[in-house]
Amino acid sequence: MKLRLRVALATLGVMAPLIAGLSMLDVHAQQAAAELELIEMIQARTSLPGERERCEASPNVWQHGSAASLRPPRVFEGEHPRARFGGEAPASRFAGEAPPPRFAGAPPPGPAAVRGPHRQPAAFYAYDAALRSRQVDAPLLPEHRLPLATSSSLSRSSLWHPERVEVLVRTPWPGGACAFVLARGTTEPWLGALLPPTRIWALPVLMVLLAVLLAIGPVLRRIRQLTDAVQRSAAFDYAAGVEMHGNDEIAELARAFAGAASEVRRQLEAKDHRDRALRNFVADTTHDVAIPLTVLQGHLVTLQEAASKARVPDASVLGSAMDEAHYIGALLHNLSAAAQLDATDIRLQRNDVDLRALVTRVVSRHRPLAQQRDISLEAAMPDAELHAHADVTLLEQAVSNVVYNAVRYNTAGGHVAVLLEAEGTHEFRVRVLDDGPGVTADMLTRLRERGYRGTQARTRNVDGQGLGLHITQRVLDSHGMRLQLSSPAAGGLQVDITGERSNLAKPHAGS
Amino acid sequence: MPKHILIVEDDPELGAQVEQRLRDAGYATTWWQEGRRLTRDDLPPVDLVLLDLMLPDAYGLDMLKDLRGFCDVPVLVLSARTDSTDKVRALQLGADDYLTKPFWPAELVERVRARLRRPTLQRADSLELGALHIDFAAHSVRCRDQLVELTRVEFEVLAVLARRAGEAVTRKWLVEQALDDERGGGERTLDAHVSRLRKKLGDQVQIDTVWGIGYRLADGTS
Repeated sequence: MKLRLRVALATLGVMAPLIAGLSMLDVHAQQAAAELELIEMIQARTSLPGERERCEASPNVWQHGSAASLRPPRVFEGEHPRARFGGEAPASRFAGEAPPPRFAGAPPPGPAAVRGPHRQPAAFYAYDAALRSRQVDAPLLPEHRLPLATSSSLSRSSLWHPERVEVLVRTPWPGGACAFVLARGTTEPWLGALLPPTRIWALPVLMVLLAVLLAIGPVLRRIRQLTDAVQRSAAFDYAAGVEMHGNDEIAELARAFAGAASEVRRQLEAKDHRDRALRNFVADTTHDVAIPLTVLQGHLVTLQEAASKARVPDASVLGSAMDEAHYIGALLHNLSAAAQLDATDIRLQRNDVDLRALVTRVVSRHRPLAQQRDISLEAAMPDAELHAHADVTLLEQAVSNVVYNAVRYNTAGGHVAVLLEAEGTHEFRVRVLDDGPGVTADMLTRLRERGYRGTQARTRNVDGQGLGLHITQRVLDSHGMRLQLSSPAAGGLQVDITGERSNLAKPHAGS
Repeated sequence: MPKHILIVEDDPELGAQVEQRLRDAGYATTWWQEGRRLTRDDLPPVDLVLLDLMLPDAYGLDMLKDLRGFCDVPVLVLSARTDSTDKVRALQLGADDYLTKPFWPAELVERVRARLRRPTLQRADSLELGALHIDFAAHSVRCRDQLVELTRVEFEVLAVLARRAGEAVTRKWLVEQALDDERGGGERTLDAHVSRLRKKLGDQVQIDTVWGIGYRLADGTS
């Protein structure tokens, strides 16, 4: 439904009951005034001497009495009724034998005689105490309608017949055939009316409606402008804002739209960023995995050639092939960890982690490689359980990278030791020691730099470390754990991972 | 009688390799190529279950849940997932540990062996390790039934090592456990004690120096 129609209907919806209420009041007031007139007429007539006898002898007299009260009760059109009646004493209205002018007076002047057909003359019906009438055409009054014990009159008018007025009046002549008189008449537009007699009062209603419809015009225009502005903004991916001048609610709405648009823009940019990150990830992964896989294929072909010529395969080729396979495995897990860490809404699945089980897994993963390279890889565990609250996959990968680096960059006959220890009362420490070539002081500084990596760190063997250590650093950062690299005096590299341990040691993580 | 391992792995290549490696390592195996909902009657008598979490028919976790409904056989889960959800869920459902793919055959065998190894009885009055017999109550050590004379500290060092035989233990921990503080027992003193222990025990008992860590008393299994 259009706004304009809605407002028009709402206006009418408010005005209609108001008009109806006013009309009802008006009808009621007119009826009350007419009833009062009828009562006054009866009272005036009953006060005449000899009227009782006349009535009881022939009640018909009261209906179409001597003076034949055939006139409509209201005939003084064009003259203010109150001025006329109010200015005269009631007695003078019904002076002498003469019926009151409204009953039987001289024919009214002017157009009053020319009434519409619905204008009935006032009629009177006499009833005895049991509300029976001797008049043939008197309306039947049910017996139970006799509550006139207290009041002297009873209105029988109805709002459904606004112009008809009926009132039952108790006469001062109880016991006879004229104990009650029912007066029937019609209302007059000028008597007791609240609303003007013509329909002129409908004019303000129309004007209000018109004013409302006119007033809503500019509002609708501004709303249409706003719609256009929003549509324009949406057409350009919300790159342009939504602008409306002014201080009204429409301008506020425009500002709210502008806020929403900038939020949408932000979300779109974030989505673009994620899309790009995913594409880059897939591209990098393909590239990163393709290289060692190519090398591995080369080694396999070399071995296959050796086998086909019944030569003993070169052990170093076998070793290199294992290296590559191990590297691909580590790379896969690191890339997956990187994807998890790159996600804009990084959600760690932190749980209670059994650190002894974790270090055991890491060491047993790299031991086959270490053995193949003739490097001793040993681990020492505390004799009591040690737990941390962490994402088990990420933390395992962080420790794994450090251990893998220590094995990978060591030389035959070298050693790697992994020590898990409780540090103080609240922390744990995983120390990875090696007696490999170690790193230079300069490199150590760079390795210690947070976020040191850049895209080139994806390539292999950058400064002998690469993606792995970067992932480790980021995982530890996300867990609030610390990574510390140092060069022991005896040579090699010492890497310490320190973090808070959890006291909720649950025995489920295996050990 | 060899230990029996149930392998639940849907990939035919991997399943065959795993089965072969475990048989080579001296285990009896049963290989199920599909997951199935388990009841007590379905499960053959096994000592360990190797369970792939990503099975086509019955989800691995459901099998684990079924299994834990009626027995505590050790379960080693094989996981290819790189996020933690399944691993954590598996551990919560009662898996003993997990092994992430890819893994080396040696890694698999080592993990299975560690899982099946009976925990050494702690607080036992005596301990038998190959040729070595330690009586904790009597503070006596026999090597091939020959009584070996040890000082009190030497005995303490050996006892501490023996209780965690097969594990590398740090010098620091050994010092804390075996040496008296008041007698100024440092790591050098420990080295001297170990050196004397080796001489007294001879070739039959192997106390390894573990680089970067400390010592390990070989338990004869590895």
